[in-house]
Amino acid sequence: MQILKHKTNIDFISKRKPALFISTLINLAIIVGIATVGFNFGVDFAGGTVVELKFNTPTTEEQVRERAQAGGLHDVTVQRVGPAEENSFLLRMGGVTQLTAENAESAKAAIQGLGETRSVYADMANGIVNFRSAQPMSAEAVKKAVEGAGIGVQEVRDLGANQGGNGFDYQVVASGMADKVFAALGTGMEKPDFEQRRVDYVGPQVGKQLRNRGVMALLYSMFAILIYVAFRFDFKFGPGALLAMLHDVIMVAGYYLVSQREFNLTSIAALLTIVGYSVNDTIVIYDRIREDMVKYKGKGLPEIINIAVNDTLGRTILTSGVTALSLIGLLIFGVGEIFDFAMAMLVGILVGTYSSVYIASPVVIWLGERAAQREAHSGAKQEPNAA
Amino acid sequence: MDRGWYWKFGMIVAVTLGTLWFLVPTYYSLVVLDRAERNNIAVLEQRLPAWAPPAKYRLNLGLDLQGGIHMVMRVDTKTALQKRTERRGQQIATYVNDKKLGEVTADTDPERLELTLTAKDPATMDAIQKEVLATFTDFTQESRNGGTLVLKPDEGQVNRFRDEAVDQAMLVIRRRIDKWGVAEVDVRKLGTDSIQISLPGRSNPEQAKELVGTTAQLEFRMVDDTNPQVFAQMITQSPPPEESKITLVDDGGFPQLSSPNREALLAYAKDKAPEGRDVLTECVANPVKKNDCIAYRSFLVDKNVPLTGESLSGADASVSQMNEPEVNISFDPAGAREFEKLTEAGVGRRMAIVLDDNVHTAPNINEKIGGGRARITMGRAGSRSFEEWLGEAQTLALVLKAGALPAPVTVGEIRQVGATLGDELIKKGSLAAVVGLALVIVFMAIYYRKAGLIADVALLLNGLLILAGLAFFNATLTLPGIAGFVLTLGIAVDANVLINERIREELANGKSARAAVDQGYDRAFWTIFDAHVTTLIAGFILFFTGTGPVRGFATTLIVGLVASLFTSIVVTRVITTYFVHGRNAQSVSV
Repeated sequence: MQILKHKTNIDFISKRKPALFISTLINLAIIVGIATVGFNFGVDFAGGTVVELKFNTPTTEEQVRERAQAGGLHDVTVQRVGPAEENSFLLRMGGVTQLTAENAESAKAAIQGLGETRSVYADMANGIVNFRSAQPMSAEAVKKAVEGAGIGVQEVRDLGANQGGNGFDYQVVASGMADKVFAALGTGMEKPDFEQRRVDYVGPQVGKQLRNRGVMALLYSMFAILIYVAFRFDFKFGPGALLAMLHDVIMVAGYYLVSQREFNLTSIAALLTIVGYSVNDTIVIYDRIREDMVKYKGKGLPEIINIAVNDTLGRTILTSGVTALSLIGLLIFGVGEIFDFAMAMLVGILVGTYSSVYIASPVVIWLGERAAQREAHSGAKQEPNAA
Repeated sequence: MDRGWYWKFGMIVAVTLGTLWFLVPTYYSLVVLDRAERNNIAVLEQRLPAWAPPAKYRLNLGLDLQGGIHMVMRVDTKTALQKRTERRGQQIATYVNDKKLGEVTADTDPERLELTLTAKDPATMDAIQKEVLATFTDFTQESRNGGTLVLKPDEGQVNRFRDEAVDQAMLVIRRRIDKWGVAEVDVRKLGTDSIQISLPGRSNPEQAKELVGTTAQLEFRMVDDTNPQVFAQMITQSPPPEESKITLVDDGGFPQLSSPNREALLAYAKDKAPEGRDVLTECVANPVKKNDCIAYRSFLVDKNVPLTGESLSGADASVSQMNEPEVNISFDPAGAREFEKLTEAGVGRRMAIVLDDNVHTAPNINEKIGGGRARITMGRAGSRSFEEWLGEAQTLALVLKAGALPAPVTVGEIRQVGATLGDELIKKGSLAAVVGLALVIVFMAIYYRKAGLIADVALLLNGLLILAGLAFFNATLTLPGIAGFVLTLGIAVDANVLINERIREELANGKSARAAVDQGYDRAFWTIFDAHVTTLIAGFILFFTGTGPVRGFATTLIVGLVASLFTSIVVTRVITTYFVHGRNAQSVSV
């Protein structure tokens, strides 16, 4: 069996300019979109709390939302996961702990109402209120007072007498948002009618760290691959491979942007895999170009590239097709982020194939032409594009 | 068919058998054992046949697939540092006073961590400044303004202290989780100020948070050695239940109860303790894996807690003039008085150092200790090396500091997956993998006929190799890992497509079957190699920068690519060579 029965002879290279133009346009649009609309950052990167609940009785998104609101939760997004009969929902909240800018003030007031305090300050990032009081206090009383101000308290830490002898130090640790969700949805019920399936809870600093590390990982790997390509092939192949990689990464990022599916650590893994896969495809064609450069010494680079691309076309379609085939299972049965991962990979495979033909190769021609021009300027009489 | 072929064929058979052999513990842990026992390495070890590899070489399921809690705790080093600076400030003030250099008050700025010394008489400040800077070398001068001197903790000291605070917190967390009795926990440092904890099979994040998030409690309590036979009597009067595995051990004149099960030991001894006494346990550390307890031993201590970590102002490990490791501890003035009283009354008795209800050590009180400074000498008896004793001293110092200078920990990240969700994910994940794999296998067989079937054999071997490789590296299979598995198989097939297309091309150019196969493999080799190396680069960077599930994906990708290089280049070639060269075929089915 064969996909392409006859040798193709498509003139890819002559269409490189409009193709490059359209690709650049789409890429720019995606970059602008990322800057303006932005990704739907998952809890990994944005920080916050996500709770997955499975209700025992048929429930709608609207009902969950109403119950949350009745329980005093206002900024919660509710999203159904899986089929309707599963009654599973994702509840998402921005905060990690119950301490917010507004209620920190009431917590401070509540603490100050207990007795003479030397200093009170809230550490919002960690959900802690630190204070130093003139007399030793009972942890129970502090807890009661702060809870009275409407903030769930996980623990009151007694840090002991201050060494300078000017008071006693305490920390009030606010409890997490997940507690609040369970409390809110369980209001007025003897026993909650739901099962807690998953709790994800990422502090704002951790989220920022994870995001920075993800971006660094992308940059490092592109750089490392670039060095490898430059070393294995020739420096003039490097920029083409890099641009193709960038193109593919941006396109896959575009998938997350347009679909507004959650962008998280797994998405970073998808982008990194695309970097590897994209260059894979490019290398196969580069390999053939290099081989053909030796084979057809007299021909110009654009012609050689056309031959190489046409010769490898069947293979290019096949390898992409087979990899896509292996993803079908993930696309059908994959849940949540795995479905997104498979979808992103599919997008990546398609654009990767395209970019190795229309981005990676034309850049080699373009660089070749420029080098030839420069040599012509300096007066050296040399056959253009001779490798 | 030359000799080399037989060698290669033999190697492939050996690799295949080795792979299957290596997957035996994984098969037992995931299929044969009950789910509740899945993480219990001891049970697995028992059930495994004698010829199987050790139980530790098995594929773990990630927390996302089996349910459990993943936590990242952030150590509040800033608060700890601030407390420490305050303590040092008081020490400096006392020192200045003792040396009769003058009188100073010390104040700490909590935000900027600066220590301000103010002299009652500004004229004395010159002498004070000179002496303090020479003695307290962990501070550097920030500014001086007449009678006030502003000091800042030395940068190197701050970093060391920060590391130490994280180590202390880790130690406390390990002990606590151990107390909870969770098997196969993983506690490790993450970055400079975070600790990552994995608790497979656990489902209550609030309980976990409470367990690891509270401040360490250090206590000094007197050991009751008045009746050394107390535990022996307990055992004769009411023998413990068989399943608690409680035995009586005696090394050094104080018989103790010992059991691998802490809960059982405590439950047994609880109401049998004499009035006014508590039974606590001490951990007998695993000689190989330091933070594991292989058994727990009983201790009888006074209920009364005369002294806590609050009164401790410092602890450091050092080496004495006798070249023996020791731990020097110091108390604040009130603590020093209490300590003096305690040691005076307790000469000849032992004092237990208790952290979170675990007896860490119980040194003997040799004499009354005044002045608030005490020394715990470690001795050098037994077969242990100097380094081991010194390590012991350092751990003890760490324990003391963990109680004395607690660095509060806060939850930075919690991910909890319920067990039912985990089951569902593993079902869907493996179904997805099987469907993807089946589609590829069918396609290859139809499209390339015999060569496709050969590629399929290689593909299956590749899948087994990935699983065995993951088991060998003790890696964890996560949901993204399953996706990585599928993707890697896709990439592995790519290599076979490259080769087969190349062979077809050579055949189309009129080459003989043999020449086409040889040329196809030779020509495709570097292309495949380059393609694999570039993806490997991405994989390694993912591995070193990623955490949790992403790391699982990266591991799968790396192992898969290496396996793919082997199967696509070596395995298929050997089989193809057999059909083309060995059978002396004139045609090749591609």
